[in-house]
Amino acid sequence: MADVDAARRALQDALGPSEVLSDPLSLALYARDASMVEGSCALVAFPRSVEDVVACVRIAAEHGLPIVPRGSGTGLAGASTPIGDALVVVTSKMTRILEIRPEDRLAWVEPGLPNLELATALAPYGFTYAPDPSSQQTSSIGGNVNTNAGGPHCLAYGVTSNHVLALELVLPDASLVRLGSEGPEAPGYDLRGVVIGSEGTVGIVAAVCVRLTPLPPDVRTMLFDFETVEDCAATVSAIIASGVVPAAVEMMDHGIVVAAENFAHAGYPTDAAAILIVEVDGTPASVRAQSEEVERAARAHRVRNVRVARDEAERALIWKGRKSAFGAVAQIAPHYHLHDCVVPRSTLARVLAGVYEIAARHQLVVTNVFHAGDGNLHPLLSFDRRVPGTLERVLRASDEIVRLCISVGGALSGEHGIGLEKREFMPLVFTDDDLAAQACIRTAFDPEGRMNPHKVLPEGARCGDFAMARGTDAAQAAASLPEGSWI
Amino acid sequence: MDLIHPHSKADVAEILGEASARGTRVLVVGGRTHMDKGNPCETDIELWTTMLDELVAYEPAEMIAVVGAGTRVGDLQRTLAEGDQEWPVDAPPEATVGGVIASAPASPRRLSVGAVRDSVLEVELVTGDGRLVRSGARTVKNVTGYDLHKLVAGSLGTLGVIVQVALKVRPRPRVRRTVLVRGGLETAARLLERLPLPAAILATSETTEVRLEGWAEQVEEQTGAVADSAPVIEIRDGAPFPLARPWEGCPVVAEAAVPPSRLAPLLAELPQAWGALAGVGVAWVGLDGPDGELSALRERAAALGGIAPVVRGPGGLGEAALPAMEVHRRLKASFDPAGILAPGRFWGGL
Repeated sequence: MADVDAARRALQDALGPSEVLSDPLSLALYARDASMVEGSCALVAFPRSVEDVVACVRIAAEHGLPIVPRGSGTGLAGASTPIGDALVVVTSKMTRILEIRPEDRLAWVEPGLPNLELATALAPYGFTYAPDPSSQQTSSIGGNVNTNAGGPHCLAYGVTSNHVLALELVLPDASLVRLGSEGPEAPGYDLRGVVIGSEGTVGIVAAVCVRLTPLPPDVRTMLFDFETVEDCAATVSAIIASGVVPAAVEMMDHGIVVAAENFAHAGYPTDAAAILIVEVDGTPASVRAQSEEVERAARAHRVRNVRVARDEAERALIWKGRKSAFGAVAQIAPHYHLHDCVVPRSTLARVLAGVYEIAARHQLVVTNVFHAGDGNLHPLLSFDRRVPGTLERVLRASDEIVRLCISVGGALSGEHGIGLEKREFMPLVFTDDDLAAQACIRTAFDPEGRMNPHKVLPEGARCGDFAMARGTDAAQAAASLPEGSWI
Repeated sequence: MDLIHPHSKADVAEILGEASARGTRVLVVGGRTHMDKGNPCETDIELWTTMLDELVAYEPAEMIAVVGAGTRVGDLQRTLAEGDQEWPVDAPPEATVGGVIASAPASPRRLSVGAVRDSVLEVELVTGDGRLVRSGARTVKNVTGYDLHKLVAGSLGTLGVIVQVALKVRPRPRVRRTVLVRGGLETAARLLERLPLPAAILATSETTEVRLEGWAEQVEEQTGAVADSAPVIEIRDGAPFPLARPWEGCPVVAEAAVPPSRLAPLLAELPQAWGALAGVGVAWVGLDGPDGELSALRERAAALGGIAPVVRGPGGLGEAALPAMEVHRRLKASFDPAGILAPGRFWGGL
């Protein structure tokens, strides 16, 4: 049985009284992340050092509290939404850059450091940190590690897993281990690779060693607009087929273009059915060569206008519209539900048509802004949850959108993760044996199930000897959240 | 030693199920090109994956290829070349895809292509006790649970048999050029600093090979930058990389890995049979035997924060304290409960 009072006293002793919260307002604040799921927690702790993180895990274990790691709370799948008498361990006060070593092309940082602050700090050295999720002003490196975060520039540069060399992890038994290596290879199984994308279920990331990527000498950002969504989507495949791998290929449909333009005044064509932002980078000669290929692909698909950013200011403006799109949708309705599915690039037009049809049938407004080059869709449903019956329609539409993406050979999540919101969908893409194997990996790190329980794997997925007697009905999806949580 | 050639995933599952039941120890074999990597281990049968060579799916527009694990790297690269693409992993043509993933050798072009594991999007694995499990997805991005496909990369066949994989592929560079220049590690370091986006820089004791890949105009531009920084000996277009492997003729070859700036102290007192990747920290070191020299190299690598497993000849992986040893043990016990998969071949006696 959890002893919350004793745990609070022990935490206050270890971290200092001001770093432990248990008042009702704080507990309410930390009872959810940026997803639609709301949970509950017993205590909130703010470690300031690796030793503090170790103390949090030790004390939680001693007093029987489940542990929920949290970075900046921008997660969209509920991975940081606590359940029951949880201790929420918030790393947002661990924001230091510990070391930058350009000669080794690496930097050590604390997990709470916001992504953009790292990229900014590296720029004077001629380097950057490549993964750039749209939340990068707020989202933390530790959170990025836990969701294997992507971003617009993943197409050419890869996801978080390709850019994290090593990490310090506090295991659920409160031991501290260093996984991976400052060098290119580490002995043992790639535990580092498992921790990345594990959504806080195998330990707490206490420090991260990131790989530095040289800033490209030249970059060109182009904006294309189209009269049909089909032409825009077909251009994406044509660009890839031409042998160019742009640094980024982002697509925005009419609804989101209008909202973003109202907000960012980026000069987006608000009468277009869809726009494409394409960025190529490299040496000046390669940028010229790639731009020509990209433009040729767009012209072959009836592009209406081609706008090339003339300078850094214009480039920043084009990106501002894209990166603020999710904020801009507040103009459409007070609430939104953002999806994250990956589909084969060649099915983009078909899947988008399906998404529009689903939204129309459920009388919902849907807009799309997404990483088209990766096939990573982000349909965004806007609604007002105060209108009775709306939330139910949103959930039904969401369910259908996920199934549509899976039906064309897609993945459940490209960068947001499974968390609570999608765990009951896991049997749609994995067999019982697949899920049991995953449960074995999790159990190897956390045999007693202390870390972020209820997340990622559907109820019933057990390691055991792979023998699962599981009756999960995927049709229950989204509706069957753990007791104590609500949408 | 029995040699077994399964023709299907189901065959593999049956063989391993039975082997687990009887305690028959199994060595998984692909193209036999990376067999020396790993500690010595005793096994009863060899399971060859070479018949699992189906091309399951390849759509150039998706930049993903799905193949049976026994597919030869050369065959795969030929198929991909028809789509003007490549699997960005440098391995001998007779190696199998599954073998390369399981042994995870460093590509000479590692600076630009990354680690082998970075190109593995989905894996189908038959566990030691004969269950077929899948991890990942046939998409370039995917966050859906625990990445078993990361764990098996480099696992040397000790967690299961890789039977099928989905690989991230990329367009073939239009131009591939090697510029050979005079000067060793210091020259390589200078080039790394001055040269925009090289594909690779391999230093040897006297010379450095700079690999340039990409658009014709870009490679010309970069070639000029190389010539501004070091005396050019030779320029070769379309040649394999590297042109020379001075370590190749030695009885023992170690693939050392250290933080990139520590290559110089690692290699300082060695004879000439080595090659080192600037900006990466990998060095192939040729040695006369598995004894004194190798121990000295490993001690130095360890002191510099690295490792030096042998990839050719005797010598094994070396000693290294694995972090989270209990986690390692539990993983091994879950995926190979009877302990039949090359027992002791992996790090830490696993």
